[in-house]
Amino acid sequence: MDRGEIEKRLNNQKDLLTNLISKAKSNGIEQVEIYSSYGYSEDVSLEKNDLNNCTATEENMFGIRVLHAGNQGFIISNHIPSLYASIEEAYQLAKSQTTPDLDLILPDARQITNHFDTYDTSLDSMGIEDLVSYAKEALGWRNDLYEKVNIDSGDFSLSKGYKLLVSSKGVMAHELGAELSASVMGMGVDGDLVGSFDYDSASGFYRDQFQTLWKKAFFNFGDKCMGALYAKPTSGFQGKVLLPPDAVYSFFLGLFIGSLNGTSLRKGKSKMTGKMGEKVASSLLSIWDDPTNKELMGSTGFDREGMPTSFKNVLNDGVLESYFYNTYEAKKAGLNISNGCATGGAQSLPGCGPKQLQIKPGTSSKDEFFKLPGKTLFVNRISGSKDGASGDFSGVVKGGYLLEAGEKIPVREVQIVGNAFDALNQIEAIAKEGELLGESSFVPYMLLDGFTITGVTET
Amino acid sequence: MRDLLKECLSEESGFVELRFHHKESRSFFAERGRVESTALRKRTGVGVRVLESGTWGFASTSEVTKASIQNAIQIAKKAARLSSALRKDKIPNLPKANFAIGDFIGKGIEDFRGRSVEEKLKMVLDIQNEASKQSTKLQSVGCGYSEIYEEKAIVTTDGANSFFSLVRPEFRVSAVAKEDGKLESGSHSIGVTGGWDCLFRSQSASQISEEACKTAVDLLTSELPDGGLSTVILSPSIVGLLVHEAIGHTVEADFVLSGSVAQGKIGHRVGSDLVTLCDSGSSEFYEGAGGTIPVDDEGVIPTNTVIIKNGILTSYLHNRETAERFGVAPTGSARAWEYGDVPLIRMRNTFLLPGNSSFDEMIANTKDGYYLDGAKNGQADATGEFMFAVQKAYRIQNGKITHLLKGVTVSGLAFDVLQNVDMVSKEFKWDLGSGHCGKGQPAKVDAGGPYVRTKVLLGGK
Repeated sequence: MDRGEIEKRLNNQKDLLTNLISKAKSNGIEQVEIYSSYGYSEDVSLEKNDLNNCTATEENMFGIRVLHAGNQGFIISNHIPSLYASIEEAYQLAKSQTTPDLDLILPDARQITNHFDTYDTSLDSMGIEDLVSYAKEALGWRNDLYEKVNIDSGDFSLSKGYKLLVSSKGVMAHELGAELSASVMGMGVDGDLVGSFDYDSASGFYRDQFQTLWKKAFFNFGDKCMGALYAKPTSGFQGKVLLPPDAVYSFFLGLFIGSLNGTSLRKGKSKMTGKMGEKVASSLLSIWDDPTNKELMGSTGFDREGMPTSFKNVLNDGVLESYFYNTYEAKKAGLNISNGCATGGAQSLPGCGPKQLQIKPGTSSKDEFFKLPGKTLFVNRISGSKDGASGDFSGVVKGGYLLEAGEKIPVREVQIVGNAFDALNQIEAIAKEGELLGESSFVPYMLLDGFTITGVTET
Repeated sequence: MRDLLKECLSEESGFVELRFHHKESRSFFAERGRVESTALRKRTGVGVRVLESGTWGFASTSEVTKASIQNAIQIAKKAARLSSALRKDKIPNLPKANFAIGDFIGKGIEDFRGRSVEEKLKMVLDIQNEASKQSTKLQSVGCGYSEIYEEKAIVTTDGANSFFSLVRPEFRVSAVAKEDGKLESGSHSIGVTGGWDCLFRSQSASQISEEACKTAVDLLTSELPDGGLSTVILSPSIVGLLVHEAIGHTVEADFVLSGSVAQGKIGHRVGSDLVTLCDSGSSEFYEGAGGTIPVDDEGVIPTNTVIIKNGILTSYLHNRETAERFGVAPTGSARAWEYGDVPLIRMRNTFLLPGNSSFDEMIANTKDGYYLDGAKNGQADATGEFMFAVQKAYRIQNGKITHLLKGVTVSGLAFDVLQNVDMVSKEFKWDLGSGHCGKGQPAKVDAGGPYVRTKVLLGGK
């Protein structure tokens, strides 16, 4: 499968979907939207420090949304011959409802100004043989440098495809993409000692970019697994936590971003309701959403409804400047149009959320965080639960360290409890260093104070 | 369908496995007085797995025709040959298995087909409207019904030849309550393998809704418990999470081979005498367990696998490959989520056998501890360290349940927690049939058991 074949398929499908929508309109179905997601991928998987399986998969999924008099029916299918029957079925689903809301409409077409084509044709000369050679290289790194690290699973993938959105309101948007990606999961094992799981991944638009990022990710994974291998329990304390980028985003910041979702706001489930223009976080914290940066993997010119994406400030020196809306939520909030923040793909209805968050780096050096007086808990990862409404989170710290008197002591059986909205004001310092998570969102290291840390014994 | 798959294999000599899978997932959701979403997801295709040159190859196609399936077989063979040079530990052959032969039609399918879209929409809307009137503190109540209907046919060149169908309905209510700027959530959900009647057999939709709303409102006035190692009585839903997360994952044989804490522990004591743990494709004690399967995704009839017997580790969970490596019979634990997924070793219905105490006796016998109820989510680690989140923690003082505390994360080391089990109730319940277990791909599972008293680390203030 190469770029030429994919483009041909895309062009044929534009015609097919346009015709299906015309047929639906002529049969009295006025509002139809079809989101098509096509992907071809070759994968090589690892298991138990060995190659496990080679796979080739191809699938085209269609998300068909029909709106009728304020009601909505949604069908997801991978069966092209019955797409028109699915449109009719979605129409019947919409008609069977008795609670219309006339704000529920498909958006009118708008001009898409940012055009992305992240399909590098150099990937067309690659195939499963190259993925096998990457797997061989990674197993070699493991054998030569990390013999105490067991690879539980891993995956190398070469994927290509497109997304296409066509609607009866004249929306016609598409993007091609291709990428190389890899991931690895495992743990350190030394005799009877077993360490915590860890994970890392990388992806790239072309071979050299991927190889550089993947090597860095694999070594980072190996170091984290080894670091967690000799962990010991520690006593609890009240105090500081140091969060690397993954932990910053996956826990407290993710909850905050979720609270800016137009649906949560409308339903009264968000603590950020009515806070626009107010200071809700430490002045150290500034966040923006930028899907327009061509260098980043998550950039896109249009959202789940085919509306143009754009740069927007979310939090400026701790002051809230933006919520996230799809078309329906924008109308419910009294706006004329959405702000291009419809999320999802062929298999989901449009939600609301950012595309590619960036957090402003601070001025501290992360190395300073490791030398602080007193006790600081370095939280590599949290395995736990979080509640979107209250903002409460709690979990077990994985791959963590107790930083004390310049020492870095690996710890296990430690829990942390907190609240995401309180944590926004508990930020003591932000590092100038950080990472591009998923080669997409820049997130720096952060130091926070005032946390409850529960342990089991004295060290 | 079995005939088409057999025809595709007629000229094959090596090991080839064909798995046809048609899946329809329907969901209906109401909130704030209106139906918010109705969706139907249909996915059909054939997954092809071959074993060639000691290595697996896999390909899939959404086009269910002889030509397309045979093309996928060739792609899978090429993939296996390409990877064979790198794989160190070759798979010599697969063991004989107790293959399912014939058609297995699940319970409840007629019921699922006989109920209209309008009836399901009315139920979520009525329950949602009724729930919202329970308290003025309720900010939002969401009510959802969903069902997954599946048909699978599995045919292999070494003897598997079966077709099965089943339906899995679920019902859930989530509520958010607000007071003085404080927001709290409560949720309750159920899920079974079977029809609507089976789904609502032990609790009606209204009762489920009342419980979720009450939790959200009650939590508004709750505080965090004191953190630390504590004596706890776990409800069947929490026991389900415990045995699934803390033990079940560590005994999946692929994970054992990677070095999980259960490696080399067969025949060793890992729990108190009171602990007997099983994982089964059937639904022991009470019909309808959510992870019930008549046939696994390698075409094998699932066994009731006794993992721990009176505290001694006795078995891992196996697919055909790991069964060969360990020299045991496959347990029928290979499962794939979609036709495009490779089967992995997964749990089905995991449960602790009931004991002799009653729940009331257990509370009366506890001087200082917590009663934990309402499973939220959980994860386990290679170390055997697990965490699960609970919705509600009730303080137990001098043999009586006193006040409600905010649920938190609970953690411990799997085998330590089992060693500390000192009371097990005679009451039994499946209580993890809604939602999914994740391990690279989702799987429908269930888990449960009796009430159990043990010690865990409680996160708190």
